[in-house]
Amino acid sequence: MSFLFKDKLTGTATVMMLIFIVAAIFGPWISPNAKEGAGATNVDNSYIGPGWQHLLGTDELGRDLLSRIIYGARPALLIALAVVGFAAIIGTLLGLIAGYAGGWIDNLIMRVSELFLSFPPLLLSLVAVTFLGPGLINALIALIISWWPWYARLIRVEASIIKSKPYVEISAAMGVPDRIIILRHILRNVTTPLIVQIAADLGTVILAAGSLAFIGLGAQPPSADWGLMVAQGRNLIFDQWWISTFSGLAIFLAVLSFNIIGDALRDHFDPRIARQ
Amino acid sequence: MKILWNRLSSALLVLFAASFVTFTLARVIPSDPSLAYIGPKATAADAAQLRITLGLDQPIPVQYIKYLGETLHGNWGYSLSTKQPVLQEIIDRLPATLELVFFAMSFALICGVAMGVYAAKYRGRIQDSIIRILAIAGVSMPAFWLGLLLQMLFAGRLTWFPATGQFDIDLKYDNPITKITGFPIFDSIVTGNFAATVNGLHHMVLPALTLSAYSFGLISRMARANLLEVMSQDYIKVARAYGLSERIVFFKLALRNALPPIVTITGLSTAYLITGTFFVEQVYNWPGIGSFAVNSLISIDYPAIMGITLLAAIGYLVINFIVDLIHAKLDPRVWMR
Amino acid sequence: MSIKTAFSSRRVRLVAVTSTALLVFASLSVPNAAHAASVFKVATSAAVTTWDPVQSFSTEAFYMTNIYEPLLWKNADGISPEYSPALATSWSASKDGKTWTFKLRAGATFHDGSAVNAAAVKASLESSKKVGGAGFIWDALKTVDAPSDDTVILNLSYAAPMDLIASSTYGAYIVNPKALAAVAADSKYYESGKDGGSGPYTISSYKSGSSVVLTAYAKHWASEKPAYSTIDISIVPDGITAQQMMTSGQVDWSTNIPLTSLTSLKRNSKYSVIKYKSPFNYVGYFNTLRAPLNNPAVRQALSMALNYREITAVGGQGYATQARGPVPAGIYPYDVATPQYVMSREKAKALLAKAGVKDLTIKITYASENSAEARFVPLIKDAFEAIGVKAEVQGILFNQQWAAAKKDPANAQDLFIVKYWPTYSDAGVDNLWSLFHSSAKPFFNLSYWKNTTYDKLIDEATELSGSDKAAAQKLYSQAMLLLYKEAPGIYLYDEAQVSVVPKKFSIPKYNINYPFSAFFAGVKLA
Repeated sequence: MSFLFKDKLTGTATVMMLIFIVAAIFGPWISPNAKEGAGATNVDNSYIGPGWQHLLGTDELGRDLLSRIIYGARPALLIALAVVGFAAIIGTLLGLIAGYAGGWIDNLIMRVSELFLSFPPLLLSLVAVTFLGPGLINALIALIISWWPWYARLIRVEASIIKSKPYVEISAAMGVPDRIIILRHILRNVTTPLIVQIAADLGTVILAAGSLAFIGLGAQPPSADWGLMVAQGRNLIFDQWWISTFSGLAIFLAVLSFNIIGDALRDHFDPRIARQ
Repeated sequence: MKILWNRLSSALLVLFAASFVTFTLARVIPSDPSLAYIGPKATAADAAQLRITLGLDQPIPVQYIKYLGETLHGNWGYSLSTKQPVLQEIIDRLPATLELVFFAMSFALICGVAMGVYAAKYRGRIQDSIIRILAIAGVSMPAFWLGLLLQMLFAGRLTWFPATGQFDIDLKYDNPITKITGFPIFDSIVTGNFAATVNGLHHMVLPALTLSAYSFGLISRMARANLLEVMSQDYIKVARAYGLSERIVFFKLALRNALPPIVTITGLSTAYLITGTFFVEQVYNWPGIGSFAVNSLISIDYPAIMGITLLAAIGYLVINFIVDLIHAKLDPRVWMR
Repeated sequence: MSIKTAFSSRRVRLVAVTSTALLVFASLSVPNAAHAASVFKVATSAAVTTWDPVQSFSTEAFYMTNIYEPLLWKNADGISPEYSPALATSWSASKDGKTWTFKLRAGATFHDGSAVNAAAVKASLESSKKVGGAGFIWDALKTVDAPSDDTVILNLSYAAPMDLIASSTYGAYIVNPKALAAVAADSKYYESGKDGGSGPYTISSYKSGSSVVLTAYAKHWASEKPAYSTIDISIVPDGITAQQMMTSGQVDWSTNIPLTSLTSLKRNSKYSVIKYKSPFNYVGYFNTLRAPLNNPAVRQALSMALNYREITAVGGQGYATQARGPVPAGIYPYDVATPQYVMSREKAKALLAKAGVKDLTIKITYASENSAEARFVPLIKDAFEAIGVKAEVQGILFNQQWAAAKKDPANAQDLFIVKYWPTYSDAGVDNLWSLFHSSAKPFFNLSYWKNTTYDKLIDEATELSGSDKAAAQKLYSQAMLLLYKEAPGIYLYDEAQVSVVPKKFSIPKYNINYPFSAFFAGVKLA
């Protein structure tokens, strides 16, 4: 775990990520104004700029922006975990089946994955959420639909390599059931690239979810979703600039810290690539 | 050749399947698409009549086959919100997006490679750190947020650049661009209409910068990492031992061998650019495919959505195909795999 | 050859070139030199749903009133006389109000040069009644006679104010019969930007979703020619973009400035911010089919929970007033004596307790593309939660919101928020009828309310409004009182129309009767 603090950049990123996690879990307790963070309005306080009373200012309904941003950490991280989690599980399962079974099952699963991967990333999510209807859950489903093929392909490649390795054949000859061998070997070998991919994807999913919300196809008002808040502040960008600026900054910093940590993880597990 | 044929045929198959996927998704629309066609105060009878006219009452497989046939004939349906033929809308708007993508990609490639190489050269020093931070910031930044920030700062506060649009509206009347290829900046250069060129480039700066951020990040990271890996290879040491100058070693050997993955990543990031244009064009009111796509999605204009998805899939396949070709040319080893 | 291009100097060159280029471009942000003086540039969000003047029923009205003309125009508030002649120079009604005679203007022509005559008027009105988007306005019309080229006689089945109806913003344009025939043969005839109008401007170019260019029609009958022979309109869906285009000089005038920007624009000496009465208001419907919303006491309680002051302030940003019923202030049959609810949450809680309501969840839907609704609907949710009622908010595109409400009333939303306006300036025939009169299949009565007393009052009043306005008003007022007591809906606020006009231009006053329209013929330098 010490690699997370190996240099100033990675250390800073780790600290930032911890802050976001703390915000996600303990939001209601650390917000300057928990009720407003959750959505309670305070119309008389609208459009106050950043200052001592409200560190990041207030939004169009008078809610303290810092509280709203803290409350926004929870949906952001939850979506990231849920999408990556489900995509990884579904993808891993399908990849395992494909790699192990081979033949037409393998072909079918891989063709389907290729089909999904033939669209530019995010496009499939956008189209899916358009037809499912706007909302957080639908955005989740749409993103999972786009993400699982990456994992399926990753796992399947590993699975088919392992399947043909000599020690697998030897174990089979010694009477150990196929499935256990393969599972054990595959999972052992797959863990590392899986972790690296997951770490990289967490940041990307936060970005994708924020983009969906910005267009209006993700979380809906009055939820404290960062992308939604950037969209809501857009009409005010020239005068009440703080609403879009700080909400977007939250997305940026969250994605940045996950990406830096993802890099660090990759360097740690895959030192082939010479780095500093 | 066989490899090419395989790629082509699988690409076609993927296209067919992609069109079917979008088509099927479109059938799950909650709202009655005919409403967008008529207007907010239409009666139920009008809507019912329109469903029949648009063929929405036929079974799905029948509709799909009809759709396939029409698509191959160039009839991509009519946009429900603009009433114009979808293919026509796409053709009208494609040049604006392609020019934007061209400038964004050029900037990302040139700056990305230059900075990646620079960072590799000064590895471990402060220049390296700064560039690495810039690069990872580039891939982490939400395009819509960066766009809004640049707009607010450079167009709103500093007024150095226009905030929106492809050209000044006055240009249409004072210095109209004669249409030759349909690509406005290119046409303006070719016809000597330099006032228009300058105006167009002026409008292009902020959107292209915004769009290039992600690709810049990817490319510079890849360039740096690749160059470092190549520089540590044995043949480089050998070349140095033979007394070849650092310049030649660097440019002729190392860079040349580091290029192929950069080409790949350029292709990949162009694909990200496709969806990137959705957000950038919306923020900057750019009259291209991206803003058309966003409006179609928001208004659930399913013929337009299907057209755009098809276009994106085609584009993605074409880009990957070209990238593979360039990669193969640069690195003949690929043929042997 | 020595390799002069040392690595570092190459980099320096690259940086130097790039920064010089950037500086050059930056310096080019000099505001553009004098443009063609005869072009007036506009930015608007008005999308074109259709260019068909008969089918038109949406935001394209912005352009239509420049391209087409009705028989007469209804003038803006405060202008006397009430109507201005357009394609008709005079009109009169028979004693019983069932026969109207219009005398047509001599010398008026369509854009292709053909004359605007009685035959054209007859064809237009008949087409509108039969297939028009707003065809229902001609409900009273039985037949149209064209005894001579310049006379048109409208025979009605019951007395109705034909002057008001023939000046409607939808469904009343006089269209070139050649165009009527062409669109009958090909329904897409108009969509590339063709027009069959007689108005002061004609469509010279149309790029869907991005721009409309109108050029002046040289042979228009008006004695005063427009100051601007070309109107260049950019279609810009985002209010903030349109605003920025105006403040930076890209366009001369923008019509969809976000309400939230008005405070800072007021401080800008280059612009006048003018407030007008508009026919727009915001109402909500309760789903009266669903228990416990079928109990008027519960609906009254919910009505009393709302903080009307805040909702009006947040939605209207200082340019709205709380509504009295669903008829907007200033439109017939508005009655200032109609009561309105005020926030009294204790009373609301008591009413709910008395009705035995526990654990109620209200599903609220609103149009996601409407930024005002997106701003104030959270306040409604807050208000309900303050009296112990949970609320779920769903913002969807209006078309979907409306389709869902019409399709399955029993399972539809509990509260439908909508921005409404009457098709022509009679909110008795329109708002009061459309919004709350019972109907077998819901169209705009999305409270699904069936009240025979109310129906009778409205039916009688609409019959009378052609002949005895005062009597009709009395009946309408009783109906509006009933709407207050029974609370099938909530009446939120009347929204003003705010125009931001650069001081260097003189732009015609907003005309409440043509709420989506701009009249460019009257635009000139101040």
